[in-house]
Amino acid sequence: MRKGSLLFCVFLIAVALCSIILARGWAFKAALFPLSVSVPLLVLATIQLLVVIFGKPETSGSAEMDVDFSTDVAPDEVRRRVLGIFAWIVAFIALVYLLGFPSTVPLFIFLYLKFQSAVSWLSSVIAAAITWACFHMLFQSLVHIQFEAGAIQTWLGM
Amino acid sequence: MFDAFIDGLFLVLQWKAFSLMLVGMSLGFCVGLLPGIGGAATLALMLPFVFKMSPAEAFAFLLGMHSVAATTGDITSVLFGVPGEAISAATVVDGYPMAKRGEAGRALGAALMSSLMGALIGAVALALAIPIVRPLVLTFGSPELFMLSLIGISCITSLSGSSTRAQIKGFAMGLLGLLVSTVGQDRQSGSLRFDMGLMYLWDGLDFVPVLVGIFAIPEIIDLAVRGTSIAGDRPPENLSRGVLEGVKDTFRHFWLVFRCSVIGVFVGILPGAGGGVAQWMAYAHAVQSAKNSKEREGFGKGDVRGVLGPGAANNSKEGGELIPTVAFGVPGSGAMAILLSGFLIMGIMPGPDMLTKHLTITFSMVWTLAIANVITVLLCLLVLDQLAKLTYVRGSLIIPFILLLVFVGSYTANGQIADLIVTLIFGLLSYVMVLFGWPRPPFVLGFVLGKVIETYLFISMNRYGFAWLAHPIVMLLTAVLVAVIAYPYVQQRRQRLARGASA
Repeated sequence: MRKGSLLFCVFLIAVALCSIILARGWAFKAALFPLSVSVPLLVLATIQLLVVIFGKPETSGSAEMDVDFSTDVAPDEVRRRVLGIFAWIVAFIALVYLLGFPSTVPLFIFLYLKFQSAVSWLSSVIAAAITWACFHMLFQSLVHIQFEAGAIQTWLGM
Repeated sequence: MFDAFIDGLFLVLQWKAFSLMLVGMSLGFCVGLLPGIGGAATLALMLPFVFKMSPAEAFAFLLGMHSVAATTGDITSVLFGVPGEAISAATVVDGYPMAKRGEAGRALGAALMSSLMGALIGAVALALAIPIVRPLVLTFGSPELFMLSLIGISCITSLSGSSTRAQIKGFAMGLLGLLVSTVGQDRQSGSLRFDMGLMYLWDGLDFVPVLVGIFAIPEIIDLAVRGTSIAGDRPPENLSRGVLEGVKDTFRHFWLVFRCSVIGVFVGILPGAGGGVAQWMAYAHAVQSAKNSKEREGFGKGDVRGVLGPGAANNSKEGGELIPTVAFGVPGSGAMAILLSGFLIMGIMPGPDMLTKHLTITFSMVWTLAIANVITVLLCLLVLDQLAKLTYVRGSLIIPFILLLVFVGSYTANGQIADLIVTLIFGLLSYVMVLFGWPRPPFVLGFVLGKVIETYLFISMNRYGFAWLAHPIVMLLTAVLVAVIAYPYVQQRRQRLARGASA
């Protein structure tokens, strides 16, 4: 926890420093607001960094006004599951890029339900088909959202 | 006046206007549930359909749709931690933890009933305020709006927690939010800031992909990690009793709901502030209303007052936004600007005529706001039991559908793959923030208010130099600002003294 807080403070300091350096190259009017935000951010992040290094360890890891993550799963398992869901999210975005939204929707629902949720083939196919139908009716027929074609379709000239 | 008030009701109750209002409400219901597709975008899409309608029918249709979207936006916020509308983000902070605790029914009951109260108070404010609001709006120039935005950002003191460390973290997150809001082309000089050579960033970061990422992604990751349903392994709550409890909570904390509704109306009246600000100001006010640190501890962990405040403010601001739109033709938000085009399509010029010649139509709007929300909330209360059961469905079955909602919602912001990447980046940032105990609400407040603060500051400086600091209302608002910042510290000191005296 302490190591993570330390890294987050370093991240904030890096963001503040970067924005100060970049803002120096802009017109005064454009630079004024980012500078007047970055400088106090740099100061506060540095104070927090010093508090993390030299202060007493925090009694609770969570923010006072924010949600808590569950703590009843073993850390190794947490890491594995976080990486797992992150991989699914990245795969979803990659599929949208390659195939476009309309094709990705049923494919993703099917793949996730079949291989992650261990749902039967038939139920996965039915769920994918229903989702595709709802998606098509709502977003394409009713609201007329223009979805970009996927890279593969563009490449094939479809 | 009274005759016009009653005639306004009969206009809405005519079968054609009433049917169109029901159609609009159905659309608004769906739009509210879907993250990303805002009420404003749907208003724009539906505008071409009003050409053949009478003014009363058109406003029943458009307002029925718009006002309901804000109400149902709270449902996905509570059930899945995904804000149905950008203006429903604050409801996630306490609503979703309640759902995780097995109190989804109570949270939904509270959100919907407070929304209804807020909408009714907003409608009453609209009816009462039109004749007297003119001086208020005209005295609020850019310096006053800048000060009001500062009051909004000063709510960080209430959104960060009580300890000094929490305050440092809260302010740092608020500043990070302000910094992120400066991405894109500067409106004053035209310079590109933090654009990383990407044309996508020239317009700045859109609210929807950022807010959806900030609130939804960490919850999805947590749901996947837990491997249970949203409500965990708890025995199912008695849903009907839970919903009823939520409804009772609204009346138990009626004055909080009332005060938050008034905040919503006031913010709605002022052009440019919008629902994003109203909900967080209301949330901060709910936190400030806690009598001691023990009462404050519950916020962010599932305190029903954190659901009631934003729920009421979201809906009351609809009435507030209509006041300057109807009375002066000054739209308070993007949605109101679109509604203004509806006025012009109908051949109606907003302004003094709305208080004389078209007074009946003005009152029909008041009635539409009230009736549409009453019907929606009553219908929702009937189906809440079924909706709340979703929190007991196995997480791995529900995650792909939530992911779909999240990413389709964020894609609708600009229609680019980059929207999805922005959602992912801010989702990861938010996950790290929660993991290491950095509060997210101050970040969101800074991000929402950043552009408003910068714009009004520059207009004030260009127009008045430093002389605006001496404006009477600015000085009054400065005193309010100091009071808002100092209040949590004074409250803590008072509690320490009281503890010392009792020990």
